[in-house]
Amino acid sequence: MMRPTMTPGRSEGTREERTREERTRSEGDRGETTREEGITGKTVYRQVGQSPNRLEAREKVTGRALYVHDMEFPGMLYAKMLHSPYAHAEILSIDVSEAKALPGVKAVLTGRELPYLLGLYMVDKPILAQHKVRYQGEPVAAVAAVDGKTAAKALSLIKVEYRPLPAVLSVEEALAGKVLVHEDINTLDYVKGVFFPQPDSNIASWHKTIKGDIQKGFAQAELIIENELRLPQVAHVPLETHVVIVEADPYSPKVKIWSSAQSPFAVRNLLAKAFGLSRADISLVVPYVGGGFGGKAGIHLEPLGVVLSRACQGRPVKIQATREEEFNQLPTREGLRGRVKTGVTKDGKIVAEEIYFDWDGGAYADYSVNVGRAAGYAGAGPYEIPNIELHSRTLYTNKVFGTAYRGFGHLETHWIIERQMDLVAQALGMDPYELRMKNLLREGAATITGEKITAYSGRVDQCLEAVAKEISWSGYQSALEREKAFQTGKARGKGLAVLHKAPAMPPNTSTSAIMQMDEDGNVRLLLGAIDMGQGAYTVMAQIAAEVLDMPLEKVKVIWENDTDKNPYDWQTVASKYTFMGGNAVIRCAQDLLRQMKEVAACVLRSPSEELTHGDEKIYHVQHHDKAIAYKDLALGYTYEDGTGIGGPLIGRGVYMAEGLTNLNPETGQGLPALDWTYGAHGAEIEIDLESGEIHVLKIASAFDVGRVINRKLAAGQVVGGVIQGLGSALIGGYKYSPEGRLLNPSFTDNKIPTAKDIPDRIVPIFIENPQLDGPFGARGVGEHPMISVPSVLANAVYDALGINFYELPLSPERIALALARRKE
Amino acid sequence: MCVEHEHKVAETYLDSGLPRVRVSCTVNGESVSRWIDPTMSLLHFLRHELNLLGTKEGCGEGECGACTIILGGKAVNSCLVLAQEAAGSRILTVEGLGQGGRLSVLQEEFIKEDALQCGFCTPGMLMSARALLDRNPEPEEEDIKEAIAGNLCRCTGYYPIIKAIRTASEREREASQR
Amino acid sequence: MDSEFVYLKPPSLSDLLKHLEPWGEQSKVLAGGTDLLVLLRRHSLSPAYVVDLKGIEELQRLEEVEGGDVFLGAGITVNEAAHSGLVQKRYKAVADAANTLASYQLRNRATVVGNICNASPGADLAGPLLVFDAKVQIVSARGKREVLLQDFFAGVKKTILRPQELVYGLILPAVAAGERSLYLKQARIKGHDLGIVGVAARLDSRKKFHLAMSSVAPTPVRLTRLETLLNDSPWSPELPEQAAEAVREEIRPISDVRASAAYRSHMAGVLVKRAIRYLMEEG
Ligand SMILES: Cc1cc2nc3c(=O)[nH]c(=O)nc-3n(C[C@H](O)[C@H](O)[C@H](O)COP(=O)(O)OP(=O)(O)OC[C@H]3O[C@@H](n4cnc5c(N)ncnc54)[C@H](O)[C@@H]3O)c2cc1C
Ligand code: FES
Ligand code: FES
Repeated sequence: MMRPTMTPGRSEGTREERTREERTRSEGDRGETTREEGITGKTVYRQVGQSPNRLEAREKVTGRALYVHDMEFPGMLYAKMLHSPYAHAEILSIDVSEAKALPGVKAVLTGRELPYLLGLYMVDKPILAQHKVRYQGEPVAAVAAVDGKTAAKALSLIKVEYRPLPAVLSVEEALAGKVLVHEDINTLDYVKGVFFPQPDSNIASWHKTIKGDIQKGFAQAELIIENELRLPQVAHVPLETHVVIVEADPYSPKVKIWSSAQSPFAVRNLLAKAFGLSRADISLVVPYVGGGFGGKAGIHLEPLGVVLSRACQGRPVKIQATREEEFNQLPTREGLRGRVKTGVTKDGKIVAEEIYFDWDGGAYADYSVNVGRAAGYAGAGPYEIPNIELHSRTLYTNKVFGTAYRGFGHLETHWIIERQMDLVAQALGMDPYELRMKNLLREGAATITGEKITAYSGRVDQCLEAVAKEISWSGYQSALEREKAFQTGKARGKGLAVLHKAPAMPPNTSTSAIMQMDEDGNVRLLLGAIDMGQGAYTVMAQIAAEVLDMPLEKVKVIWENDTDKNPYDWQTVASKYTFMGGNAVIRCAQDLLRQMKEVAACVLRSPSEELTHGDEKIYHVQHHDKAIAYKDLALGYTYEDGTGIGGPLIGRGVYMAEGLTNLNPETGQGLPALDWTYGAHGAEIEIDLESGEIHVLKIASAFDVGRVINRKLAAGQVVGGVIQGLGSALIGGYKYSPEGRLLNPSFTDNKIPTAKDIPDRIVPIFIENPQLDGPFGARGVGEHPMISVPSVLANAVYDALGINFYELPLSPERIALALARRKE
Repeated sequence: MCVEHEHKVAETYLDSGLPRVRVSCTVNGESVSRWIDPTMSLLHFLRHELNLLGTKEGCGEGECGACTIILGGKAVNSCLVLAQEAAGSRILTVEGLGQGGRLSVLQEEFIKEDALQCGFCTPGMLMSARALLDRNPEPEEEDIKEAIAGNLCRCTGYYPIIKAIRTASEREREASQR
Repeated sequence: MDSEFVYLKPPSLSDLLKHLEPWGEQSKVLAGGTDLLVLLRRHSLSPAYVVDLKGIEELQRLEEVEGGDVFLGAGITVNEAAHSGLVQKRYKAVADAANTLASYQLRNRATVVGNICNASPGADLAGPLLVFDAKVQIVSARGKREVLLQDFFAGVKKTILRPQELVYGLILPAVAAGERSLYLKQARIKGHDLGIVGVAARLDSRKKFHLAMSSVAPTPVRLTRLETLLNDSPWSPELPEQAAEAVREEIRPISDVRASAAYRSHMAGVLVKRAIRYLMEEG
């Protein structure tokens, strides 16, 4: 799939020499390692690799950036939802008469009136619970009223009668299948051939990856190491909770939605399907988004907004999740139980591996079946494994449902795999660095789905080497050294872990961009994706400015994304936008250049092949004074006699994924990856042996991003991602009562790291082995920094204490009690 | 996009049945006065009555700091203050940080250090930082962390924020010495 | 707020008490509001009146009174207590605890007396005030009374306060120069968080230990058995460890979403040990 072609946008005129020079520099045997504070200005690019400020920063520091959270419309109503107190129960009756009678209440809806089912992959989720509730916190009724207070009062007047049912609260209970979360699983609609629900079970999808022959592989093994590891559900915690405003025209099928959403086109698509509307009837507007992290990728409050607004004669209805609803009603990250059995030779070569991933997916499948699928091709880590059988089962349970969360299952699977690698190393008495180095994917190796790794796929070994060096790794400490440290009351340890991730997306995923030039030579860029703080629009503007060779200030990205006006994008997920959007923008800019050259060719009376561009001009390659400024072409060129030629410039650029295939339904073999971004972390920690608190001294994180487009933003992704990973490792996690009630649906007991919880130092390291079809060689890095942070910390904990942990979080309590147990 | 919503106010009044009360205070140097629902929080007063939408609500329970403003010279969680409690006080919100179309040093440093991503925590973060520099122009790293530990940020990992506050304090000190 | 109430801000103590006399049952006193407003917002409480005490000048005092005692009025915020030289010098454990309570901006509103009146088992300021034998001054339209703080708590989130009464302030009895005290808190994270166990310890000028704990019983408690043990034992290097063992015998913490009983018990021992060691070294 890797075509040895030049990056689009590099093959013309003055650009070419620069590009050649650049490529020979970084395509050597070893990619260059650049530190944040390190080498700058090493390229001849004007934009790429620089650190301009994010475009929207001024709006954000002045409080002028508006989020859906901030929006109000004339006549707007406020909606609130009533939630199930039971994890699993039949709804016997709902009496809304008193609520409806309350002055100020404009609509009260229950699931009985809403015979719709929605879902990205499994069509399994009602807008409001219909005949039964499947998790505590599931909405059973909704009220729209003139203000929030009235809506809240109305909710208190709704009477619901339930008949509690036994609940499925663990992967074990889900697999036992005695109680079914979806008794109608056999008749649910789903995306066939990609997902595999199992009849009469709680298995929403069972994905298999089978390569080689594990029987034979295990027979060759000189040592077999088996382990079970787990981690709980963890919340995304965007600071802006989910919020929508919906206005449904009472005289036509038209609906207009303002949503804090990551994937407006996907929401439009699913809404159209569920309500039988045409895409053109639905407009989705996304202004600034206060954080997403995957939790706003799917469709959430939008359908409820539509039915409520319809029930209120088209008045705009706002639904803003409370923080409690954000934790308890809206989706979270799946929990996972991983069982892994690894067969190795004595010298540390992996010969066979069997993995069972059982995902605690909660009440509805949402993205978690696709998370399960992604685990099928990436869940064994960036290693070459000749014989493997990997089963990834997404299970229904009576808990808050799971969805995409930054890393899309990879933080979870790498918790299992990267702990297992250390456990294997311990069993072999080998340095875990050596063990990894021996098995990492390298040029010529094949992934577990049969994809060949090439010289242009990126280098995970270089990432590992870089972080090992940064933390001065020299192997586990000896028991003696540990003993010594124990006397001081504090123990120190170091750890390593690697990671990889490719975008989880269909083979035909696409995106598009439109560019228009104003008469002053400024360019307006319309994109399909959403910038929710990751900096996508700034990176796209840099790319546009680079290709057009103009100042960044002259490229304006249109912020409020509107499906009626912006060009299509599949979804803003999967760390693929720099790659895909970048390519679309390059093509878009090239389209604009081509149009300018065509007109300039007439005006300058030169063949367009002899024209080149630079400094906002089209000029002749040899006779530089034969030139026309962009702005003189923007609306078409005007001759001295007043006649014109050309017309307004509008560029278009699209990018559709190339080289991907569906996966074989039986074996999981195929080409799922647009690009692999590899990475590694090295950590140094100190543990208080009495309180069990982990103090992180340093985390070094290296990623082979192919090419850094914006250094400052890339570093921001790394630092922010590592801290989110740290939260998952040390703090995060849902806790349920034995009946399945969420015990920590607020910040009081569901914590995220604060400024006092960060490591002393984080060192981001960028390795730049270009991806030939990436824009300027770039790959994505949005999600990756989070992945393997829990594993690297647990590996460091082992080094410090000689104790292995198999479950997250690594809370002070877990560590202190383990130490106390060992003492006894 | 955002309009005053008199119609809503009228209906609220009928529904709650509580007599409205008059609240007057000084916000970003301007005297303001409104008749409001007596149970309104200061956060909602700023956002819904004064249309100062920069201040955000992330939890409504004092946990996240997105609603932080400066009330009578001190950083407070405006979600846990009744509008009536602020009567007669001086209030500073993010909208009051810049002067005459120019950004404050603190805002400039936030931009330069990329101390924001989604930007939702930013107004509250800036106000906690402003209050810190007002009471302690020479904060140590630990002081900065303490001052913003009540402001949750899920995006940045805090380092760039801490750095921005430190460099802003240096620049402000230089400016005041000059 | 989802609750409906009338807000009153009486300008004087007598006005406030006059209101509470007939309307006490239907009123809630508002100090910093960091506990009360959370409840009002969720509609977990629905008083007819919310009576703000911040209009009353005399409650805003933190000062030395006769006999070297210190008066801390009901309007004093947690940050004011934390930053007060008087508190830092004489009642360090109180300042320590004040600095661990919630976040900086919350402490600008939250009051010390509010923390006591809320009577949460985990109230951070309770332990330090207990080890200084703080007294609670209570007033109503009918008169005044004073109780020891340890007699003030009546159960989880319950006090002996009657609806017509207001806590006027706290009296911190005089301490001798050179006394030492500290507060140690274990939470789940380093940033702002409720404690899962908190230990307040004081060594007075007669070398007697005073200890109290939060989050290990229905109310913050004095560790009287441990105090007896410590004060009857000769000082030895083993004393801190013995104290750790003893405290684990004395308390019966519960398991909840924040921590298991086992970890609470473990940490109670650890913090007591550290506290005693610190006091012995410094003392
Ligand atoms: C996000 C957050 C974090 C927190 N973290 C902590 C923490 O770490 N440690 C901790 O201990 N607490 C914590 N709290 C609880 C709270 O902040 C403290 O208990 C605070 O000290 C309460 O003081 P206040 O002035 O805000 O009380 P208020 O809310 O004003 O009052 C509390 C209660 O006491 C009554 N009351 C107040 N003053 C009087 C009086 N003078 N006479 C009679 N009754 C009175 C009120 O009617 C009310 O019932 C936290 C709260 C929040 C919201
Ligand atoms: S909204 Fe006030 S602290 Fe979260
Ligand atoms: S920038 Fe998004 S929460 Fe701080």
